[in-house]
Amino acid sequence: MQAVATKLIDVTEANAEKIARQWFADVRKNPKTPSYHNLSEDRAIPQAVDFYQKFRGVFAAKSPFEEARRVYTKYADESYRFGIPLHEAIYALTLMRRHIWLYAEFQALFVSAVEQQQAVESLNRTILLFDYATYVITDRYQELMKGEIDKQLSALRALGMEESFTGSKVGIMACLLVACGFLTYYYHAVMASGVIFTHLFYIPIVLAGIWWRKKGIAVSVLLGLILIGSHLIFMKGVPLTDDLIRAIMFVVVSSVVALLAEGFSKIEVLYRSAPQAGTAVET
Amino acid sequence: MKGHATKLIEVTEKHADRIALQWLGDVRMNPKTPSYHTFSDEKALSHAAAFYRNFRTLFCTEKPFDAARKFFTKYADERYAEGIPLHEAIYALILMRRHIWLFSEFQTLFVSTVEHRQAAESLTRTILLFDYATYVITERYEELMKREMEERIRRDGRAGGRQQAAGVRPK
Repeated sequence: MQAVATKLIDVTEANAEKIARQWFADVRKNPKTPSYHNLSEDRAIPQAVDFYQKFRGVFAAKSPFEEARRVYTKYADESYRFGIPLHEAIYALTLMRRHIWLYAEFQALFVSAVEQQQAVESLNRTILLFDYATYVITDRYQELMKGEIDKQLSALRALGMEESFTGSKVGIMACLLVACGFLTYYYHAVMASGVIFTHLFYIPIVLAGIWWRKKGIAVSVLLGLILIGSHLIFMKGVPLTDDLIRAIMFVVVSSVVALLAEGFSKIEVLYRSAPQAGTAVET
Repeated sequence: MKGHATKLIEVTEKHADRIALQWLGDVRMNPKTPSYHTFSDEKALSHAAAFYRNFRTLFCTEKPFDAARKFFTKYADERYAEGIPLHEAIYALILMRRHIWLFSEFQTLFVSTVEHRQAAESLTRTILLFDYATYVITERYEELMKREMEERIRRDGRAGGRQQAAGVRPK
Protein backbone atom coordinates (compact mmCIF):
# COMPACT_ATOMS: atom_id res chain seq x y z
CA MET A 1 0.00 0.00 0.00
CA GLN A 2 2.88 2.29 0.82
CA ALA A 3 3.83 3.03 -2.79
CA VAL A 4 0.38 3.77 -4.07
CA ALA A 5 -0.41 5.68 -0.89
CA THR A 6 2.70 7.80 -1.41
CA LYS A 7 1.64 8.36 -5.00
CA LEU A 8 -1.84 9.40 -3.96
CA ILE A 9 -0.59 11.60 -1.14
CA ASP A 10 2.08 13.21 -3.32
CA VAL A 11 -0.45 14.08 -6.00
CA THR A 12 -2.93 15.39 -3.42
CA GLU A 13 -0.34 17.51 -1.65
CA ALA A 14 1.26 18.87 -4.81
CA ASN A 15 -2.10 19.84 -6.25
CA ALA A 16 -3.87 20.84 -3.03
CA GLU A 17 -4.86 24.28 -4.31
CA LYS A 18 -6.08 22.92 -7.65
CA ILE A 19 -8.15 20.13 -6.06
CA ALA A 20 -9.49 22.60 -3.49
CA ARG A 21 -10.69 24.88 -6.29
CA GLN A 22 -12.42 22.00 -8.05
CA TRP A 23 -14.05 21.06 -4.77
CA PHE A 24 -15.14 24.63 -4.19
CA ALA A 25 -16.74 24.83 -7.63
CA ASP A 26 -18.65 21.69 -6.70
CA VAL A 27 -19.93 22.79 -3.26
CA ARG A 28 -20.79 26.16 -4.76
CA LYS A 29 -23.37 24.52 -7.03
CA ASN A 30 -24.26 21.33 -5.22
CA PRO A 31 -27.89 21.37 -4.02
CA LYS A 32 -26.85 19.43 -0.92
CA THR A 33 -24.50 22.19 0.25
CA PRO A 34 -26.53 25.42 -0.05
CA SER A 35 -24.65 27.09 2.81
CA TYR A 36 -21.52 27.04 0.67
CA HIS A 37 -23.23 28.81 -2.23
CA ASN A 38 -22.62 32.17 -0.58
CA LEU A 39 -19.52 31.29 1.42
CA SER A 40 -16.56 33.41 0.38
CA GLU A 41 -13.68 31.84 -1.47
CA ASP A 42 -11.27 33.24 1.13
CA ARG A 43 -12.87 31.11 3.80
CA ALA A 44 -13.70 27.90 1.96
CA ILE A 45 -10.58 27.34 -0.14
CA PRO A 46 -7.98 27.67 2.67
CA GLN A 47 -10.02 25.16 4.67
CA ALA A 48 -9.90 22.67 1.79
CA VAL A 49 -6.22 23.34 1.05
CA ASP A 50 -5.39 22.78 4.71
CA PHE A 51 -7.35 19.56 4.59
CA TYR A 52 -5.49 18.27 1.53
CA GLN A 53 -2.13 19.27 2.94
CA LYS A 54 -2.83 17.39 6.16
CA PHE A 55 -3.97 14.32 4.26
CA ARG A 56 -0.52 12.71 4.50
CA GLY A 57 -0.40 13.06 8.28
CA VAL A 58 -3.79 11.41 8.76
CA PHE A 59 -3.30 8.80 6.05
CA ALA A 60 0.07 7.63 7.32
CA ALA A 61 -0.61 8.00 11.06
CA LYS A 62 -0.04 5.02 13.31
CA SER A 63 -3.11 5.98 15.33
CA PRO A 64 -5.38 7.25 12.58
CA PHE A 65 -8.31 7.87 14.90
CA GLU A 66 -6.28 10.10 17.20
CA GLU A 67 -4.89 12.03 14.28
CA ALA A 68 -8.35 12.25 12.69
CA ARG A 69 -9.74 13.59 15.94
CA ARG A 70 -7.10 16.31 16.02
CA VAL A 71 -7.49 17.38 12.39
CA TYR A 72 -11.26 17.05 12.01
CA THR A 73 -12.09 18.71 15.30
CA LYS A 74 -10.50 21.80 13.82
CA TYR A 75 -12.53 21.33 10.63
CA ALA A 76 -15.72 21.03 12.69
CA ASP A 77 -14.86 24.13 14.73
CA GLU A 78 -14.26 26.18 11.60
CA SER A 79 -17.36 24.97 9.79
CA TYR A 80 -19.46 25.61 12.87
CA ARG A 81 -18.05 29.12 13.10
CA PHE A 82 -18.92 29.70 9.42
CA GLY A 83 -22.52 28.73 10.25
CA ILE A 84 -22.53 25.56 8.14
CA PRO A 85 -25.14 23.00 9.26
CA LEU A 86 -23.75 19.62 10.27
CA HIS A 87 -25.15 17.62 7.35
CA GLU A 88 -23.66 20.09 4.89
CA ALA A 89 -20.27 20.15 6.64
CA ILE A 90 -20.14 16.37 6.36
CA TYR A 91 -21.28 16.36 2.78
CA ALA A 92 -18.66 18.97 1.90
CA LEU A 93 -16.06 16.69 3.45
CA THR A 94 -17.42 13.79 1.42
CA LEU A 95 -16.95 15.91 -1.67
CA MET A 96 -13.38 16.68 -0.59
CA ARG A 97 -12.72 12.96 -0.53
CA ARG A 98 -14.36 12.46 -3.92
CA HIS A 99 -12.24 15.18 -5.43
CA ILE A 100 -9.07 13.44 -4.32
CA TRP A 101 -10.19 10.40 -6.28
CA LEU A 102 -11.51 12.33 -9.22
CA TYR A 103 -8.18 14.03 -9.52
CA ALA A 104 -6.26 10.76 -9.09
CA GLU A 105 -8.41 9.13 -11.78
CA PHE A 106 -7.94 12.10 -14.02
CA GLN A 107 -4.18 11.78 -13.59
CA ALA A 108 -4.51 8.06 -14.40
CA LEU A 109 -2.65 7.06 -11.24
CA PHE A 110 -3.98 3.51 -11.16
CA VAL A 111 -3.70 1.79 -14.49
CA SER A 112 -2.04 -1.59 -14.19
CA ALA A 113 -3.62 -4.60 -12.48
CA VAL A 114 -1.29 -4.27 -9.50
CA GLU A 115 -2.13 -0.59 -9.23
CA GLN A 116 -5.83 -1.44 -9.36
CA GLN A 117 -5.41 -3.77 -6.41
CA GLN A 118 -3.45 -1.12 -4.58
CA ALA A 119 -6.15 1.38 -5.42
CA VAL A 120 -8.71 -0.78 -3.61
CA GLU A 121 -6.47 -0.94 -0.56
CA SER A 122 -5.80 2.76 -0.70
CA LEU A 123 -9.51 3.46 -1.12
CA ASN A 124 -10.20 1.33 1.95
CA ARG A 125 -7.73 3.34 3.99
CA THR A 126 -9.21 6.63 2.78
CA ILE A 127 -12.70 5.42 3.61
CA LEU A 128 -11.57 4.43 7.10
CA LEU A 129 -10.22 7.92 7.66
CA PHE A 130 -13.44 9.49 6.47
CA ASP A 131 -15.47 7.19 8.69
CA TYR A 132 -13.48 8.54 11.62
CA ALA A 133 -13.87 12.07 10.28
CA THR A 134 -17.66 11.72 10.13
CA TYR A 135 -17.73 10.40 13.68
CA VAL A 136 -15.44 13.13 15.03
CA ILE A 137 -17.25 15.97 13.25
CA THR A 138 -20.72 14.78 14.28
CA ASP A 139 -19.60 14.35 17.86
CA ARG A 140 -17.88 17.73 17.90
CA TYR A 141 -20.85 19.57 16.38
CA GLN A 142 -23.13 18.20 19.08
CA GLU A 143 -20.60 19.31 21.68
CA LEU A 144 -20.41 22.78 20.12
CA MET A 145 -24.18 23.13 19.93
CA LYS A 146 -24.51 22.09 23.57
CA GLY A 147 -21.66 24.42 24.57
CA GLU A 148 -23.33 27.34 22.83
CA ILE A 149 -26.66 26.72 24.54
CA ASP A 150 -24.90 26.29 27.90
CA LYS A 151 -23.11 29.59 27.36
CA GLN A 152 -26.36 31.35 26.56
CA LEU A 153 -28.04 29.76 29.55
CA SER A 154 -25.23 30.77 31.86
CA ALA A 155 -25.69 34.35 30.66
CA LEU A 156 -29.36 34.03 31.62
CA ARG A 157 -28.43 32.58 34.98
CA ALA A 158 -26.02 35.44 35.55
CA LEU A 159 -28.90 37.80 34.83
CA GLY A 160 -30.98 35.95 37.40
CA MET A 161 -27.98 36.01 39.80
CA GLU A 162 -28.80 32.42 40.67
CA GLU A 163 -25.32 31.51 41.79
CA SER A 164 -23.89 34.73 43.19
CA PHE A 165 -26.74 35.70 45.50
CA THR A 166 -28.15 32.46 46.84
CA GLY A 167 -29.48 32.81 50.32
CA SER A 168 -29.29 36.62 50.58
CA LYS A 169 -31.94 37.74 48.10
CA VAL A 170 -34.52 38.38 50.82
CA GLY A 171 -31.95 40.38 52.81
CA ILE A 172 -30.98 42.49 49.80
CA MET A 173 -34.61 43.08 48.94
CA ALA A 174 -35.44 44.08 52.53
CA CYS A 175 -32.58 46.62 52.52
CA LEU A 176 -33.74 48.05 49.19
CA LEU A 177 -37.35 48.32 50.39
CA VAL A 178 -36.25 50.07 53.59
CA ALA A 179 -34.15 52.48 51.49
CA CYS A 180 -37.15 53.13 49.21
CA GLY A 181 -39.39 53.69 52.24
CA PHE A 182 -36.89 56.13 53.70
CA LEU A 183 -36.58 58.00 50.38
CA THR A 184 -40.35 58.26 50.12
CA TYR A 185 -40.61 59.59 53.65
CA TYR A 186 -37.71 62.04 53.11
CA TYR A 187 -39.05 63.49 49.86
CA HIS A 188 -42.73 63.56 50.86
CA ALA A 189 -42.48 64.55 54.56
CA VAL A 190 -39.26 66.61 54.68
CA MET A 191 -38.88 68.04 51.16
CA ALA A 192 -42.62 68.00 50.38
CA SER A 193 -41.76 67.12 46.82
CA GLY A 194 -42.54 64.34 44.40
CA VAL A 195 -39.39 64.66 42.26
CA ILE A 196 -38.02 61.75 40.32
CA PHE A 197 -36.72 59.74 43.30
CA THR A 198 -39.19 56.97 42.37
CA HIS A 199 -36.89 56.02 39.46
CA LEU A 200 -34.73 54.28 42.06
CA PHE A 201 -37.71 52.03 42.90
CA TYR A 202 -37.16 50.20 39.64
CA ILE A 203 -34.02 48.59 41.04
CA PRO A 204 -35.90 46.38 43.58
CA ILE A 205 -38.81 45.98 41.14
CA VAL A 206 -36.60 44.58 38.35
CA LEU A 207 -34.60 42.41 40.73
CA ALA A 208 -37.75 40.98 42.30
CA GLY A 209 -39.15 40.17 38.85
CA ILE A 210 -35.95 38.35 37.86
CA TRP A 211 -35.58 36.52 41.14
CA TRP A 212 -39.14 35.53 41.96
CA ARG A 213 -40.97 35.99 38.64
CA LYS A 214 -44.71 36.54 39.15
CA LYS A 215 -44.35 36.46 42.92
CA GLY A 216 -41.99 39.42 42.55
CA ILE A 217 -44.92 41.58 41.42
CA ALA A 218 -45.84 41.77 45.13
CA VAL A 219 -42.78 43.99 45.66
CA SER A 220 -44.01 46.50 43.08
CA VAL A 221 -47.49 46.46 44.66
CA LEU A 222 -45.92 47.09 48.07
CA LEU A 223 -43.83 49.98 46.76
CA GLY A 224 -46.87 51.42 45.02
CA LEU A 225 -48.85 51.26 48.27
CA ILE A 226 -45.98 52.90 50.20
CA LEU A 227 -45.85 55.70 47.62
CA ILE A 228 -49.62 56.31 47.61
CA GLY A 229 -49.90 55.93 51.40
CA SER A 230 -47.07 58.37 51.99
CA HIS A 231 -48.64 60.80 49.52
CA LEU A 232 -52.00 60.65 51.28
CA ILE A 233 -50.37 61.21 54.67
CA PHE A 234 -47.74 63.85 53.93
CA MET A 235 -48.87 65.58 50.72
CA LYS A 236 -52.58 66.04 51.22
CA GLY A 237 -52.82 69.24 49.16
CA VAL A 238 -51.08 67.83 46.08
CA PRO A 239 -53.09 65.87 43.45
CA LEU A 240 -52.53 62.09 43.64
CA THR A 241 -52.54 61.54 39.86
CA ASP A 242 -48.74 61.50 39.31
CA ASP A 243 -48.01 59.02 42.09
CA LEU A 244 -50.95 56.88 41.05
CA ILE A 245 -49.54 56.66 37.53
CA ARG A 246 -46.10 55.85 39.00
CA ALA A 247 -47.57 53.07 41.14
CA ILE A 248 -49.36 51.58 38.13
CA MET A 249 -46.11 51.75 36.13
CA PHE A 250 -44.35 49.82 38.92
CA VAL A 251 -46.78 46.96 38.48
CA VAL A 252 -46.61 47.10 34.68
CA VAL A 253 -42.79 47.05 34.61
CA SER A 254 -42.70 44.33 37.25
CA SER A 255 -45.13 42.17 35.24
CA VAL A 256 -43.12 42.57 32.04
CA VAL A 257 -39.87 41.65 33.82
CA ALA A 258 -41.57 38.67 35.50
CA LEU A 259 -42.92 37.43 32.17
CA LEU A 260 -39.52 37.76 30.51
CA ALA A 261 -37.76 36.02 33.38
CA GLU A 262 -40.34 33.25 33.26
CA GLY A 263 -39.80 32.89 29.52
CA PHE A 264 -36.05 32.50 30.07
CA SER A 265 -36.71 29.92 32.76
CA LYS A 266 -38.99 27.96 30.47
CA ILE A 267 -36.28 27.85 27.84
CA GLU A 268 -33.80 26.59 30.42
CA VAL A 269 -36.24 23.97 31.74
CA LEU A 270 -37.02 22.79 28.22
CA TYR A 271 -33.37 22.55 27.32
CA ARG A 272 -32.42 20.73 30.50
CA SER A 273 -35.31 18.29 30.27
CA ALA A 274 -35.15 17.71 26.51
CA PRO A 275 -33.81 14.23 25.77
CA GLN A 276 -30.81 15.05 23.59
CA ALA A 277 -31.12 12.08 21.28
CA GLY A 278 -29.22 9.45 23.12
CA THR A 279 -29.55 10.24 26.76
CA ALA A 280 -32.21 7.63 27.42
CA VAL A 281 -31.48 4.40 25.67
CA GLU A 282 -34.16 1.77 25.55
CA THR A 283 -32.98 -1.69 26.38
CA MET B 1 -20.51 -3.88 -12.23
CA LYS B 2 -23.75 -5.81 -12.53
CA GLY B 3 -22.22 -9.29 -12.17
CA HIS B 4 -20.09 -8.45 -9.24
CA ALA B 5 -22.79 -6.39 -7.61
CA THR B 6 -25.16 -9.34 -7.87
CA LYS B 7 -22.56 -11.51 -6.18
CA LEU B 8 -22.12 -9.04 -3.33
CA ILE B 9 -25.85 -8.48 -2.95
CA GLU B 10 -26.64 -12.16 -3.02
CA VAL B 11 -24.08 -12.92 -0.34
CA THR B 12 -25.32 -10.02 1.79
CA GLU B 13 -28.97 -11.00 1.41
CA LYS B 14 -28.37 -14.68 1.94
CA HIS B 15 -26.31 -14.15 5.07
CA ALA B 16 -28.16 -11.09 6.38
CA ASP B 17 -28.73 -12.63 9.80
CA ARG B 18 -25.16 -13.85 10.12
CA ILE B 19 -23.65 -10.52 9.10
CA ALA B 20 -26.07 -8.75 11.42
CA LEU B 21 -24.92 -10.97 14.27
CA GLN B 22 -21.28 -10.15 13.57
CA TRP B 23 -22.16 -6.47 13.45
CA LEU B 24 -23.96 -6.78 16.78
CA GLY B 25 -20.86 -8.34 18.34
CA ASP B 26 -18.92 -5.32 17.13
CA VAL B 27 -21.27 -2.50 18.25
CA ARG B 28 -21.71 -4.25 21.58
CA MET B 29 -18.01 -3.81 22.37
CA ASN B 30 -17.02 -0.83 20.25
CA PRO B 31 -16.09 2.17 22.42
CA LYS B 32 -17.56 4.49 19.78
CA THR B 33 -21.05 3.00 20.14
CA PRO B 34 -21.68 2.88 23.92
CA SER B 35 -25.45 3.26 23.52
CA TYR B 36 -25.54 -0.14 21.87
CA HIS B 37 -23.76 -1.83 24.76
CA THR B 38 -26.99 -2.11 26.71
CA PHE B 39 -29.38 -2.13 23.78
CA SER B 40 -31.68 -5.10 23.31
CA ASP B 41 -30.23 -7.79 21.01
CA GLU B 42 -33.51 -8.35 19.28
CA LYS B 43 -34.01 -4.72 18.32
CA ALA B 44 -30.43 -4.13 17.23
CA LEU B 45 -30.43 -7.27 15.11
CA SER B 46 -33.66 -6.30 13.44
CA HIS B 47 -32.12 -2.91 12.42
CA ALA B 48 -29.12 -4.56 10.85
CA ALA B 49 -31.03 -7.40 9.20
CA ALA B 50 -33.53 -4.91 7.70
CA PHE B 51 -30.65 -2.95 6.28
CA TYR B 52 -28.93 -5.98 4.77
CA ARG B 53 -32.18 -7.22 3.26
CA ASN B 54 -32.80 -3.83 1.67
CA PHE B 55 -29.28 -3.60 0.36
CA ARG B 56 -30.26 -4.81 -3.11
CA THR B 57 -32.91 -2.13 -3.53
CA LEU B 58 -30.52 0.59 -2.40
CA PHE B 59 -27.64 -0.73 -4.46
CA CYS B 60 -29.45 -1.31 -7.74
CA THR B 61 -31.81 1.63 -7.86
CA GLU B 62 -31.56 4.17 -10.66
CA LYS B 63 -32.04 7.00 -8.21
CA PRO B 64 -29.82 6.05 -5.28
CA PHE B 65 -30.31 9.32 -3.41
CA ASP B 66 -34.09 9.05 -3.44
CA ALA B 67 -33.95 5.44 -2.32
CA ALA B 68 -31.43 6.35 0.39
CA ARG B 69 -33.62 9.21 1.57
CA LYS B 70 -36.62 6.90 1.87
CA PHE B 71 -34.81 4.14 3.71
CA PHE B 72 -32.50 6.16 5.94
CA THR B 73 -35.10 8.69 6.98
CA LYS B 74 -36.92 5.77 8.56
CA TYR B 75 -33.63 4.55 10.03
CA ALA B 76 -32.99 7.99 11.55
CA ASP B 77 -36.55 8.23 12.91
CA GLU B 78 -36.23 4.88 14.63
CA ARG B 79 -32.76 5.50 16.08
CA TYR B 80 -33.82 8.93 17.29
CA ALA B 81 -36.88 7.49 18.98
CA GLU B 82 -34.66 4.88 20.62
CA GLY B 83 -32.40 7.60 22.01
CA ILE B 84 -29.26 6.76 20.02
CA PRO B 85 -27.01 9.83 19.64
CA LEU B 86 -26.38 10.93 16.07
CA HIS B 87 -22.66 10.13 15.99
CA GLU B 88 -23.33 6.63 17.28
CA ALA B 89 -26.20 6.01 14.86
CA ILE B 90 -23.89 6.94 12.00
CA TYR B 91 -20.98 4.94 13.32
CA ALA B 92 -23.21 1.89 13.75
CA LEU B 93 -24.19 2.27 10.11
CA ILE B 94 -20.54 2.57 9.10
CA LEU B 95 -19.92 -0.68 10.92
CA MET B 96 -22.81 -2.28 9.01
CA ARG B 97 -21.04 -1.34 5.80
CA ARG B 98 -17.72 -2.66 7.06
CA HIS B 99 -19.28 -5.98 7.97
CA ILE B 100 -20.56 -6.47 4.45
CA TRP B 101 -17.00 -6.16 3.23
CA LEU B 102 -15.50 -8.19 6.03
CA PHE B 103 -17.93 -10.97 5.23
CA SER B 104 -17.32 -10.82 1.52
CA GLU B 105 -13.57 -10.82 2.08
CA PHE B 106 -13.91 -13.77 4.40
CA GLN B 107 -15.89 -15.56 1.69
CA THR B 108 -13.09 -14.65 -0.77
CA LEU B 109 -15.53 -13.21 -3.27
CA PHE B 110 -12.88 -11.21 -5.09
CA VAL B 111 -9.91 -13.22 -6.18
CA SER B 112 -9.03 -12.63 -9.82
CA THR B 113 -7.71 -9.38 -11.29
CA VAL B 114 -11.03 -8.70 -12.98
CA GLU B 115 -12.80 -9.24 -9.71
CA HIS B 116 -10.47 -6.79 -8.04
CA ARG B 117 -11.40 -4.16 -10.54
CA GLN B 118 -15.07 -4.96 -9.98
CA ALA B 119 -14.49 -4.82 -6.25
CA ALA B 120 -13.19 -1.28 -6.59
CA GLU B 121 -16.28 -0.28 -8.57
CA SER B 122 -18.59 -2.02 -6.17
CA LEU B 123 -16.85 -0.40 -3.23
CA THR B 124 -17.28 3.00 -4.85
CA ARG B 125 -20.99 2.35 -5.29
CA THR B 126 -21.38 1.22 -1.68
CA ILE B 127 -19.51 4.29 -0.47
CA LEU B 128 -21.78 6.52 -2.54
CA LEU B 129 -24.80 4.96 -0.84
CA PHE B 130 -23.30 5.55 2.56
CA ASP B 131 -22.39 9.13 1.73
CA TYR B 132 -26.05 9.69 0.97
CA ALA B 133 -27.06 7.78 4.08
CA THR B 134 -24.87 9.96 6.31
CA TYR B 135 -26.28 13.09 4.73
CA VAL B 136 -29.90 11.97 5.07
CA ILE B 137 -29.51 10.74 8.66
CA THR B 138 -27.69 13.87 9.85
CA GLU B 139 -30.21 16.15 8.19
CA ARG B 140 -33.10 14.16 9.60
CA TYR B 141 -31.69 14.17 13.14
CA GLU B 142 -31.30 17.96 13.00
CA GLU B 143 -34.89 18.22 11.83
CA LEU B 144 -36.13 15.87 14.56
CA MET B 145 -34.24 17.71 17.30
CA LYS B 146 -35.63 21.03 16.12
CA ARG B 147 -39.14 19.64 15.85
CA GLU B 148 -38.97 18.07 19.29
CA MET B 149 -37.80 21.30 20.85
CA GLU B 150 -40.61 23.25 19.19
CA GLU B 151 -43.16 20.69 20.27
CA ARG B 152 -41.87 20.79 23.83
CA ILE B 153 -42.05 24.57 23.89
CA ARG B 154 -45.67 24.36 22.77
CA ARG B 155 -46.67 21.40 24.95
CA ASP B 156 -44.57 21.71 28.07
CA GLY B 157 -43.98 25.44 28.15
CA ARG B 158 -46.74 25.98 30.66
CA ALA B 159 -45.68 23.08 32.82
CA GLY B 160 -42.10 24.39 32.83
CA GLY B 161 -43.33 27.82 33.80
CA ARG B 162 -45.41 26.41 36.65
CA GLN B 163 -42.42 24.43 37.83
CA GLN B 164 -40.32 27.56 37.88
CA ALA B 165 -43.03 29.59 39.58
CA ALA B 166 -43.10 26.91 42.26
CA GLY B 167 -39.38 27.45 42.69
CA VAL B 168 -38.20 24.14 41.22
CA ARG B 169 -34.77 24.61 39.67
CA PRO B 170 -33.97 22.60 36.57
CA LYS B 171 -31.32 19.99 37.16
